Amino acid sequence: MKPAVFDYSAPESIAEALDLLAEHGSGAKVLAGGQSLVPMLNFRLARPAHLIDVNGVDSLSYISANGSLRIGAMTRLTAIGESGDVAGAHPVIPAAVAQIGHRAIRNRGTIGGSVAHNDPAAELPAVLMALDAEVTARSVDGERVIGMQDLIEDRLFETTLGDTELLTEIRIPAAAAGSTFGFQEFARRHGDFALAGVAAVITTDGSTITQAALGAFGGTHATRLPTAEAALVGAETGDAAFAAAGAGAAADFPATSDVHGTAEYRSHLINVLTVRALNDAAGQAGGGNG
Amino acid sequence: MAENMSVVINVNGAGRAVSVEPRKTLADAIREDLGLTGTHLGCEHGVCGACTILLDGEVVRSCLMLAVQADGAEITTIEGIADGDDLHPMQSAFSEYHGLQCGFCTPGMILAGIDVVSRNPDPSPQEIREEMGGNICRCTGYQKIVESVQAAAAVMSAEGGSA
Amino acid sequence: MTTTQENRWIGVSAPRREDAPLIRGRGRYIADIEPAGTVHMAILRSPYAHARINGIDTAAAEALDGVHCVLTADDLEGIGDFPTIWRLPGQKECTTPAFAPGKARYVGEPVAAVVADSRYLAEDALDLLDVDYEILDHVVDVEAALADGAPVINEDMGDNTIIEYTFPGINALGVAGDIDGAFEEADEIVSGRFKVGRYSGVALETRGHVAEWDDLRQTLTLHSGSQVASLLRTELAAALGIPETSVRILTPNIGGAFGNQWDRYPEDILVSLASMKLGRPVKWIEDRREALQATVHGREQLQEWQLAASSDGTVLGLKGRVLSDQGAHLHSVGIGPAWVTGAAAVNQYKIANYHCDVVGVATNKTPNSTFRGFGGPEAMFGIERMMDKTARRLGIDPAELRRRNMIQADEFPYFSPGGAVYDSGNYPAALEKALEAVEYDKVREEQQSLRDQGVYRGIGISSYIHVSGFGPSAILGILDYYTGGYEGSTVKIDPHGRATLYTGMIPMGQGTETTLAQVAADHLEIDIANVRVVWGDTDQTPYTGFGSAGSRSNVAAVAVIKAIEEIKAKAVRIGAGLLEADPDDVAYADGRISVKGAEEMRSLSLADVAQQAYWAHKLPEGDQPTLEATYVYDPANFTTACGTHVAVVDVDIDTGKIDWVKYVVVDDAGTIINPLLVEGQIHGALSNGLGGAMLEEFVYDEESGQLLSSTLMDYLVPSFTDLPDFEIHHLVTPSPHTEGGFKGMGEAGCFPAAGALANAVTDALSHLGVEADQTPVTPSRLWSLIDQAGG
Repeated sequence: MKPAVFDYSAPESIAEALDLLAEHGSGAKVLAGGQSLVPMLNFRLARPAHLIDVNGVDSLSYISANGSLRIGAMTRLTAIGESGDVAGAHPVIPAAVAQIGHRAIRNRGTIGGSVAHNDPAAELPAVLMALDAEVTARSVDGERVIGMQDLIEDRLFETTLGDTELLTEIRIPAAAAGSTFGFQEFARRHGDFALAGVAAVITTDGSTITQAALGAFGGTHATRLPTAEAALVGAETGDAAFAAAGAGAAADFPATSDVHGTAEYRSHLINVLTVRALNDAAGQAGGGNG
Repeated sequence: MAENMSVVINVNGAGRAVSVEPRKTLADAIREDLGLTGTHLGCEHGVCGACTILLDGEVVRSCLMLAVQADGAEITTIEGIADGDDLHPMQSAFSEYHGLQCGFCTPGMILAGIDVVSRNPDPSPQEIREEMGGNICRCTGYQKIVESVQAAAAVMSAEGGSA
Repeated sequence: MTTTQENRWIGVSAPRREDAPLIRGRGRYIADIEPAGTVHMAILRSPYAHARINGIDTAAAEALDGVHCVLTADDLEGIGDFPTIWRLPGQKECTTPAFAPGKARYVGEPVAAVVADSRYLAEDALDLLDVDYEILDHVVDVEAALADGAPVINEDMGDNTIIEYTFPGINALGVAGDIDGAFEEADEIVSGRFKVGRYSGVALETRGHVAEWDDLRQTLTLHSGSQVASLLRTELAAALGIPETSVRILTPNIGGAFGNQWDRYPEDILVSLASMKLGRPVKWIEDRREALQATVHGREQLQEWQLAASSDGTVLGLKGRVLSDQGAHLHSVGIGPAWVTGAAAVNQYKIANYHCDVVGVATNKTPNSTFRGFGGPEAMFGIERMMDKTARRLGIDPAELRRRNMIQADEFPYFSPGGAVYDSGNYPAALEKALEAVEYDKVREEQQSLRDQGVYRGIGISSYIHVSGFGPSAILGILDYYTGGYEGSTVKIDPHGRATLYTGMIPMGQGTETTLAQVAADHLEIDIANVRVVWGDTDQTPYTGFGSAGSRSNVAAVAVIKAIEEIKAKAVRIGAGLLEADPDDVAYADGRISVKGAEEMRSLSLADVAQQAYWAHKLPEGDQPTLEATYVYDPANFTTACGTHVAVVDVDIDTGKIDWVKYVVVDDAGTIINPLLVEGQIHGALSNGLGGAMLEEFVYDEESGQLLSSTLMDYLVPSFTDLPDFEIHHLVTPSPHTEGGFKGMGEAGCFPAAGALANAVTDALSHLGVEADQTPVTPSRLWSLIDQAGG
């Protein structure tokens, strides 16, 4: 389990990185935190001709909470998890980050790497979808901003980023006043990729739900849960609405079978977890633990 | 074969220069080029934690980094935590509380334990279990590792949290 | 001078002498060994479950810079296979070849090997090998493998049935039971069908070897993590066609073995052969993917049992059929584990009438062979689930049903209809102690009120016997097990009175070095610091027919004691001469040789006598110079460790998640040498047992025949948060027939674990009638059962 041969560059600026991407195109792979890519290199499942290591691009690592929350693509998960700015703006993010792997993984793993790798069982793509985040992609030809939905579509282990584009920033709009969240996932072991998980952000007007955004992971791809959201908006918070949302989530969720569980089980799980997340969000008792 | 690259790493307090292929993992470079075989390879895909080291003071998996990425960095391996002949309290505790059997996971466990206590000087058994979940042991069933880390934490606190 | 009290070491939690290098990162494991000039081997393995190999084009790989040689089956001329050493009557002949023999029979079977300057380069060369595979139909399910028209995996066997072995229900006294009569007489007949999942040791250190062929001396030194170096030396020499005297096996630190390293493997031959061809050291370190594909798997069985009971709860008879999924071919121990399942299934119960058919079946999977527990945990799972099912059917508390059927303390030796002789124990006492520790009645009481609150709590009892210390050799002979069950020990006292102990046992985490030093220090009555233990070098250490295993220290310990008895007798003879006393008036005590009744005046230290033994100026007639002895101990009988575990769990019926409430162990392994290390062994074995009960499983895809669990993200081993704190209590019933009363115990913890867990889960969900009859009890499986039951 040793990587195949590749050429290696370690640019120190975004411009340098973009030049390298322009030069090597589809033969190149960007190395961010490496917590998913390096295993694939070791297994020789990824065999890039050229590796562009952006860990030395210091300008990609920052957290800025001025209006919207902006996070540089190379910001480490530990820093995000411990950031007061992030917790203040979107507490669902640190709740999700805490569930990603283990400390050693979070010390290297980055938000941009997680989004660009787009593992369907990863927490962040789904969470960012629920938060209506956008990413900035840059290339030598310029910059574009892509909504999470358009970045991921129904893809897994790839995104709509072009071969010469570098994901540089994640922007998350400010949360609606009074919004609350729930985050639930079910993994067979602490720190493992989840069999299913959901981030729910809701806003209520007293007892009526005015906004609901749910992002799910652990299926064939990260996804919003539109049926569940529709069941919530306009409904009174409580068991009836949450049960309807759970059922909606199960209908929306692209469940699949593998060694860890059947698709049927995962569909059931997303239902249970959605109800639990909504109970957490509503601050009601009986949320249980996942 | 890609050209070798020259890398300078501060290892356990001393600067070391090695020449490695870009594809060489940091774990392999530590073992083969730096001759520090206390860092073990258990899975080479980032699950088992046997290759855990401290990189600039933070725990990382050395199998999930390339050696060239450690250029200019400071790393601490199991060989670097004792003060001469004086064992680190975490090392002593693992032996005293039978926190090791075959010893293969032990270097990574000890470094992970030191990291946990550095962030939480008085961890509960449950906190230790959650925080150290990224390190696998096949021999002990973990209970005695938890006891070892707790005991070491007490000693480390008494010594003023020095590590 | 030290006192007697200070020199008693048995029963003391002596600190482990193994630890000092290991906690400093200065252990020396196989991957740490790299003699000058070492080149590296990588192995091409079949990506198909079943495929004929029509040819291998090696030209491109051989042409790669830095590649030294490529080996394929064409290079095996004159090279033999490894034998299956347990050859039961009626078992079809089967061996372990170095390369797939013309066709690959499982994903991971070696097809070719490359040796290059580095492992990186060797893997580059693997990519350049071009194999012409003709894909054949495969079968990875044991029942499908037995069906008409199934693909035949080993053509020379005719079909996939390797052996059908029947336990005829004749006990060791030759008394036949009446199984049909028992079932005719029964008030209730309870049936169970159990799937015991395929999993294995998955040691954190993968396998590996460094082979050094010395062309001038014609010797092969193999650094290897084998648990049984003597057997490896014998079999490797035979396979390579060189004299055994030319082979030396050196054992470094081992990063876990769990029985898997007991077997001989293709790579043992390949790395040696490559070194002989190249005349330089060759190193092979298994990577994790290879470890999951190509180190032996364990356990997998499909069991069907029927139990005949009278309405008062008396178990009248037990009959069953065990299909053992052996994988593609028999490995070193044949169907040994499944045979043990058949032999042990009656467990602690007086079941006079017993019948079991054990069938070894070939499938296109990795060979199923030696793994901690060796058939015992599988047996315990079946019988302990059957006891709970029976209790439920009869409306008798599961603890009470066990009570009514247990062999009593005064009934030993007990001749089991499985063929074993149980040496000793107190099964009811262990059960009662476990029930008391877990507060059984209280937990039962709380169970109902918790259930009303939506908390589904279950209690699972699981009792076990662990027949260990395999021997005597004559019994192994009767079982057609072609090795010996003895252990040898050489003890040498140096002229300064310090002891060096040579053992064939190999420490692999269980603390053998420390425990044997304790036994030696205790019996020599000297400070343990004055005992050195030498292991891991077949040029120095005694031959062992059975090698190191967690449950062998008891046998090795007796060899140490017996050798020391000889040394003490000789020391007394020499000392008597020096003290000018009659040997009958001289005794060895407290590390001194003294005239009885005049210990203060007429006494010599062991060093005084040893010095004289080495000078040899004044030796008694008939005594040879020096002070050393070798004793090879062939045990008089197996030993039977035993006990009861009780698990308490909560089941989340919405997700199938199992949460630990409590886990109580009561074990009886006879006299305990080192309590701390015994606790460590119980914890570790429980981790293996509960891992397979909840998480660990090698899953094969029926469609493709692929092993789906080929990373540690798919094959889940327990981590910190998956296991409870274990509460351990001991009973001590010394083995009546071994010196010291020790029993093998290193495996015992994994015996009852799966049964305890499954019984607890089933108990938690009794209102739904869910039965956890398949391991591992994964959340997905459990939820599916709950869902089907309408929960």
